[in-house]
This record gives sequence, C-alpha cells and structure tokens, in this order.
Amino acid sequence: MTEHAPILIVILPLLASFCAFFAGWRLKRGSHVIALGGLTAGFLTSIGLLRQVLSFGAIHYRLGGWEPPWGIALHVDHLAAYMVVLIASLALVTAVFAKRTVEEELPDRIALFWCLYLLFITGLLGIVVTADLFNLFVLLEVASLTGYTLVAIGRGRAKFAGFKYLLVGTIGATFYLIGVGYLYIMTGSLNMEDLRILLPPLYESRVVRTAFLFILFGFGIKTALFPLHAWLPDAYTHAPSAVGAVMAPLMTKVMAYVMIRVLFDVFTLDFAVAVLRATDALVWTGAAAILFGAVMALSQNDFRRMLSYVIVAEIGYIVGGIGVANATALKGAVLHIANDALMMACLFQVAGLVTYQTKGQRIDDFNGIFRTMPVTAAVFTVGALAIIGVPPTCGFFSKWYLLLGAIDAGQWVFVVALLVCTLINVALFFRIFDRGLYAHAQTGAPAPGMAPSKPPPGNAPLSMLLPASLLALAVILMGVFNQVVVNTVLRFAVPLEN
Amino acid sequence: MTHLFTMTHRPLWAVLCPLVVALLILTARNRPNLRESWTLLGSVILGHLVVSMTPWLLTHGPLYFAWFTLLPAIDFAFRVDALGLIFATTSACLWILVSLYAIGYMRTLKEHAQTRFYFSFALALTGAIGTALAANLVTLFIFYEILTISTYPLVAHEESPAAVAAGHKYLAYLLTSGVFLLIGILMTYFLVGATEFNPRGILTPALHTTSRLTLQMVFFCFLLGFAKAAWMPVHAWLPTAMVAPTPVSALLHAVAVVKAGVFGITRIVCHIYGIDLMQALGLGTALAVIAAVTLIAANCYAIGQQNIKRLLAYSTINQLAFIILGVALLSPMALKGALLHIPFHGFMKITLFLCAGAIAAIAGVKKINDLAGIGRVMPLTLGAFAVGAFGMCGAPPLAGFISKWHVALGAVESERLLLLLVICAGSLLDVVYFFPVIRTAFFAKIPATEILQGDWEESVSLYSAPKHRLETQSILSLFMLIPLAITALLSIWLCLRPNTLWLYDLAHRAVTRIFGAL
Repeated sequence: MTEHAPILIVILPLLASFCAFFAGWRLKRGSHVIALGGLTAGFLTSIGLLRQVLSFGAIHYRLGGWEPPWGIALHVDHLAAYMVVLIASLALVTAVFAKRTVEEELPDRIALFWCLYLLFITGLLGIVVTADLFNLFVLLEVASLTGYTLVAIGRGRAKFAGFKYLLVGTIGATFYLIGVGYLYIMTGSLNMEDLRILLPPLYESRVVRTAFLFILFGFGIKTALFPLHAWLPDAYTHAPSAVGAVMAPLMTKVMAYVMIRVLFDVFTLDFAVAVLRATDALVWTGAAAILFGAVMALSQNDFRRMLSYVIVAEIGYIVGGIGVANATALKGAVLHIANDALMMACLFQVAGLVTYQTKGQRIDDFNGIFRTMPVTAAVFTVGALAIIGVPPTCGFFSKWYLLLGAIDAGQWVFVVALLVCTLINVALFFRIFDRGLYAHAQTGAPAPGMAPSKPPPGNAPLSMLLPASLLALAVILMGVFNQVVVNTVLRFAVPLEN
Repeated sequence: MTHLFTMTHRPLWAVLCPLVVALLILTARNRPNLRESWTLLGSVILGHLVVSMTPWLLTHGPLYFAWFTLLPAIDFAFRVDALGLIFATTSACLWILVSLYAIGYMRTLKEHAQTRFYFSFALALTGAIGTALAANLVTLFIFYEILTISTYPLVAHEESPAAVAAGHKYLAYLLTSGVFLLIGILMTYFLVGATEFNPRGILTPALHTTSRLTLQMVFFCFLLGFAKAAWMPVHAWLPTAMVAPTPVSALLHAVAVVKAGVFGITRIVCHIYGIDLMQALGLGTALAVIAAVTLIAANCYAIGQQNIKRLLAYSTINQLAFIILGVALLSPMALKGALLHIPFHGFMKITLFLCAGAIAAIAGVKKINDLAGIGRVMPLTLGAFAVGAFGMCGAPPLAGFISKWHVALGAVESERLLLLLVICAGSLLDVVYFFPVIRTAFFAKIPATEILQGDWEESVSLYSAPKHRLETQSILSLFMLIPLAITALLSIWLCLRPNTLWLYDLAHRAVTRIFGAL
C-alpha cells in the first residue's frame, strides 16, 4: 500500500469528491463528513509520503507499471513532499473551519461546495506530484476551473470576479500550453526528467527560448505576479469566506512551486541566467510587486481586499527569492511558500470569523475585537505580526534567509524593497490593532457603553476557533522550529544546494 | 526533573517568569486582587531568580544556556555575564516596587483596561530581561522587538487621540529603528558568520575582507537600531510617550525600555566591535560627539518644560547620553561609571517619576507652576523628589555621585578634557531646571489670584487644612508612598554602599573582561 502513496494522495480526494456530491443528494451533512474523511486520509497519506521520502529519498512512481514517455509518471522528491504535506494539512484544517461558514453563506449549495473543494485540492496535489508537463497542465486546469467556480459560487459581485478570474486564468493557462507545445515540437517529450536531458543542446534555439518565456509568463499570471495580478484582489474579496480561506493560502503558492520546478528542474539555472537574464528580471519584478502590493494594501478599507494585496506583495518575496537564485535565498523562498500559506490561512480565517460574527469584512468591523472576540483578536495578532516579520513568528525567518541571500548576491533593490515593505506592513496592521484595541478613540464616539452602535457579536463556534488557533500556533512553531524544517526537508529540497 | 532547576537553566526561568505571569494575569482578568497578586508574586520570584545568579557569576564565571537552534550557527541562547546582569538586576528589582506602586496608582485613578495594562507590563519585562540575558544578536533582537510591541498598548493606554498619536509616534520611531537593527545584524552575520557576544568583539576579522567604511556604516545602522537609547535626533518619541500612566513612564521609560537601548549600544561597542576596533575605526570619538551634543541639548530643552513628566523625560535623555558618553570614552574607568549609572540612574529617576505620579494621582497636579506650596501637604513625596533631583545633579551622598565621578575620571584618564567640561556643564544645567521645582513646591506662596479665580474649590480642599496630610489619607496612597520612599532611601544607600546587590563587583568584572586585566 505504501508504495502507491504518490497516486493515492491524488486519488483519495478525487474519490471523496464524487462521493460527497452524491451523498449530498440524500443527506446535506453527509458531504461534509465525507470531505473530512477524504482529507484526513489524504493528510495521513501525505505524512506517510514525507516519511518515505525522508528515509529513502525521492520516489519515482510509474502508474500501472508503464514506463514513461508512454505511461504517466509521478515524481515525489523532498520539495514535492513538503508541498504535499502543506496542502493536505491546510486543506484539512480549513475544511474543519469552513463547515459553519458554508452553512451560513451557501445554505443551498453545501454538497456542491464540498465536491468542488475536494476537486480543487485534488488538482493542487496532482500539480505537485506530477512529473509530466502536460499532465501538469491538465491538473492545473482541474484546480483552476474549480477555482473559478468556487469564486463565482458566492453572492453579489462574486460572479463578476469569478468571470474575470476565468478570463485571465485561461489566458495564463494558454500561454503555458503553447510553451509546452513548443517544447514538445522541439524535443518530442513531455517528461520533466527527459526534457532536462534533451533541452541543453537546444538552448540556443529561438523556439526553446520562446517556450521558456511563454511558460514563465503563464505562471506569472497564475501566481498573480505584479503586473499580472489584477484578477486576484477581486476574486479573493468577493469569494465566500471558506473559499478565500483555502484558495488564498494555496493557489498562488503552488504556482510559485511550479515556477521553481520549471526553472530549476526542467530548465537549468545557467540557462535562465546566461541566456535570458531572466533571474534579474524576476528580482526586479519581485521588488516592484512587493512595493506595489504593500502600497495598494495600505489604501484598502476592506480587510480581505487588503489581504489580497498583501498576497501580491508576498508573491513578490517568493519570486524575488527565486530570482536571487542562490541557495540561501531559494531556501528563504521555499520556506516562505509554507510560511505565507500558514499566515494567509490564519488571517483569512480571522476574516471568516469576523464576517461570521459581525456580518461584515471591512476594517471598521474590527472595532473593539480585543474586547468582544478575544480569541479571534489573539489569532489576528499572531498572523499580523508574522506578516510584519516580528520574531519569533515564522515570517521573520524566511525574511532572514531572503535578505541574507539578497545581500550575498548584491541585489540591494530587493533588500530595500523587503525592508520598506516591512515598515508599510507595520502601518497596515497597526491600523487594525488600533481599531481593535481603542475603538472609541478612533471614531470620536463617546465613552464605551454609552452608544452601542451594533449589537454585541455572538460567540463563534469552537469548530471555527479551534482551527484558527491551531494555525496561529503553527505560525509560531514554524518560526521557532524552522531549523528542523530546514535541516530535515529543505536542505534536500532546494535545487541549488547539491 | 530536578535538572531543570539547576543554575544552568536559571536564565531561561528568569525570562519565562514574566511571560507566565502575563498569561496568569489574563486568566485572572475578572478578579483584580488575584491579578495583582500574580504580578507581585511574579516580580518577587523574578527578582530572586536574577539576583541569585550574581554570586554564581562572580565565583564560577558566565552561565551559558542554549535552548534550540534558530538559524544556522545561531542558537536561541542566553548568556549571563556581568554586563547583562547589571541591566537585568535593575529591571527586576524595580519591577517589584513599581508593581506595588501601580496598584495604588491605577486604583486611585480608577483606570480602565487594567488587565491589558498589567498583561502588557509583564510582557515588557520578558522583553527587558531577555534583552539583558541574550547570548547573541538575534536572540537580543527577538526580545528587543517584544519590548517595543508590548509597550505600545501601554503608551496609548489612555485611548485619547493624543495618547493614540503618541503610540503611533512611538511605533514609528522604534519599529523603523528595528529595521536598521536588523540590517546591522544581517551585515554582521554576513561579514563574520556569527552573532555571539564576545568581550573582545567579533568583527575584527572582517577588517580583512571589507572596507573600513562598511564597518562604520554598519555601526551607524546599529546606532539607529538602538533608538530606544533616545540619542538626538531620534529622541522625540520619549517626551511624547509621557502620556502613558506613570508606572509605565517610571519603569519602562526610565529603566527598562531606554536602558535596553543604552545596553544594546554597550553590547555593540564592547562585545561586537570590541574596544580596539572601535578605536581603530575612530567610532569612539563619533559616538562621544553624538552623546555630548545630546547631553547638552536635552538639558536646554528641559529648562523650558512646564509639565513635570516631560521635564523628567528630557532629564532621562540627558542621563542616557551621559551613559553613552561613558561608553564612548573607551576607557576602563569611564565604562565602569557608565555601567554603574545604569542601575543608579534607574533608582534615582524612578524615584522622581513615582513622585510625579503620586502628585498627579493624589493632588491632581501635573504642571510645575501648580506645585506651589504642595511640599507642605505632601512632605514625604516632595522630600523624595528632592533626593532624586539632587542625585541627578550628581551631588553626594547620592548614587549619582559615584557613577559621575567614575566617568569624569575616565574623561581625565583618556585626556578628553573638553568632554569633562561637557559632563560638568551637564550637571550644572541639571541644577538649573530641578531647583525651581523644589523651590516652588516648598517655598512658593499660594498666589491669591488662584484662590479667587480658577478652580478654587480644589485649592481650598488642598490648603485649607494644612495639618491634614494629603498623602496619607487613604490606604491606596500608601501603596504609592512606600515604594517611592524605598527608592529614595536606596538612592542614598547606593552611594554609601555601591556594592549592594554586587553592583560594583559586576561593573568591575565586566570592565575587566572587556579591557583585560587592569
């Protein structure tokens, strides 16, 4: 059984997805139970997979015993196993959290939601473990199409946001597909390891270079890399709370992972640096993304829209770190993929909690949360400090690696962008701390108790508070024990280290 | 389990103690008496933990405790050395007295959000003790930032627009400076691959690989990073932060926070750069110039102040600059004086703040002009104030005399007579702005106009019954009065017995380690 873990990790949520859909016909609650079951199984498998990789090294799995290039190949190395655990665990935690918000926001579409949710996770897990560029496209579309639908399932402007996301996302996927097509024309192979051997003699070819740029551009759109980010803020602002909580941490981060895969495993770093100077371009774009995202976030009044722009900035961290292209910075970038996923999951769950209790998601809805919803406020504090990069939360440590790598490579623009962004993030989050801590000072309203403008919010259920607290704890532990992660997993996962 | 409580683990417990207290305070938020008991108990335990490490240090040498690895070649580690213990002892001992005082102060004024207050206060102590005992720059940075963030709700405690604005200013200055500190740490790590503190400095090997200019720039990054030391021109947050409740101003903005800045600079000068490298790069002189300018300028600002706490804030800036000057002279005697001034100034300045708070809480007076005649109804408080004020000027028999004497000797020793002049001028200016306060309080007549106009009701209640001691009216006032009397007496005691709590030995040991055998 354990040797089939690489495919089980994809199959289990897929099966659960179908079951959840049909179960929903008979019993509304059934779909959530099945989703939890499928994700728990997926999570346990992912842990098994990680242990297997840690003790025996990378796994090459041939589906049905067919050898590539005819059969479907899966490839799970340290980096992939790390991502699989990240996705599977966050999917599970979010699924626990999402139960109540889905019942509240989408009472008539519960089964549909869980079916799509599981398909989305299937797609993401598949992207991570596949060893084939075309299968990657297919799974990318599985994740993306369910993603568009998940966004559009919400109310109000969600349909328009979903449509916009659909248009832009499809363009991105098309760019990628054309790039892959060119590579297939030139080499006759789609297998990543095959390509790694076949491509170097063709590096001078203009077609290969075009293919590389098309693929990079396609991923640029999918990762919401500035200036190709326009779909993201709308999509994450208007999507249902549960969707925001699962998509915001995972979607762009998985795409950043694929970018690392293609840049370092399909092509080589020398190609990107020497032939195209692509890495410098990535650093500059990353720096621009960081500053743009931070400044735009500062001008938002909607909490989730603000977080969306923070994501744009965080993507700048990761892409810039990839562009710096030395082992230290890359370690930072890969670490930041997980850290950012945790922080964003944490903060989007806070957004969900605030929406659940106050029926709003504006920054003004955070007034007095330290008094009225102390647990939510504590989780928010941890998440916000992590984004700012205050030690000992995890945000500090990935930033440390990124900064050190950038200093080592002499990329001072990136260093300055990172530090300025830190300061802007301070302004960003302390604005909310102020509202949460000293609400009546901000509005100029009379002393507390004099004018209750809103009824006091009810208590959030434990099924929402517990996952959120767990994530907050994870944000701290991931920081404190970052060396454990770095030494056991990332040391082997970072392409340049060996 | 017994091995957890050996001397080696003591620094860890010292840092965790206030943290645990903070959590206990949260759980007891609906029971004020229990909540304050936790604070008091915690402060006593912390005081014991810290002081008990001193004899061990003096006989066995530094304690080192690494908990886990934070980053490659950087542990989350504590190193208890003489320099750190001086700062830790000062903060921990004064926390006991200020906790007692805070009960009286907060309850007399019926302040809101007291749980938040005590929680943040305990958290700030974690930051201060951690900063003192940290073994390397990254561990220090972690606690330094905890200190910054946990004091923000304390500065903005009043929640008035002015207080929130002061909080913003506080954060803007200190978190921006935190970024510079991070740059300094990163550069140090990049240049020599280590951040451990070492009495000989660690940056000397970098001279072979990088330019002098880089090292000088890195030093200024560090200096900017320690904006908590309130050197000019990054001092402006400190007077503004005086809107905080007085216990905060007393312990944090006279001892823990600002001394963390000064302590950080001392660490950088002595344990990262090392005396020789400082001299080779000419940084000692640069630092001395900054300190001298701050010293004189802060005193000039202080002369014009009307608000007592703002006056004290400028006096603090002046005294901090004095400590930095002592460090910058790079002479053993001056360094010893500077190190002694950390606790000595702490005891004296806290006396002044506690008096100012007591006057504000009991009599409702915050301006110097309104102090007229108050010495007659609050003789104990104002007497303590006078003691503290004389100490600031460096008059014997007060603790300030000992430390100022050493620094002045150091200036002579290193043949910097101009700086000796600055030190003397600074002490003279201290007299200029403290003397009027004492004169007004004890000898000024109550202006007749004030009784006729203005809030005469208050005036009548204040002065109509001079035999009625205002300060001993209620039991809560005693909570304020006893701590300030103790600190005032200690300020005198420390002059007569400077080795109380082994403070003199600690300073001597630190200097010996840094300069080699004298």
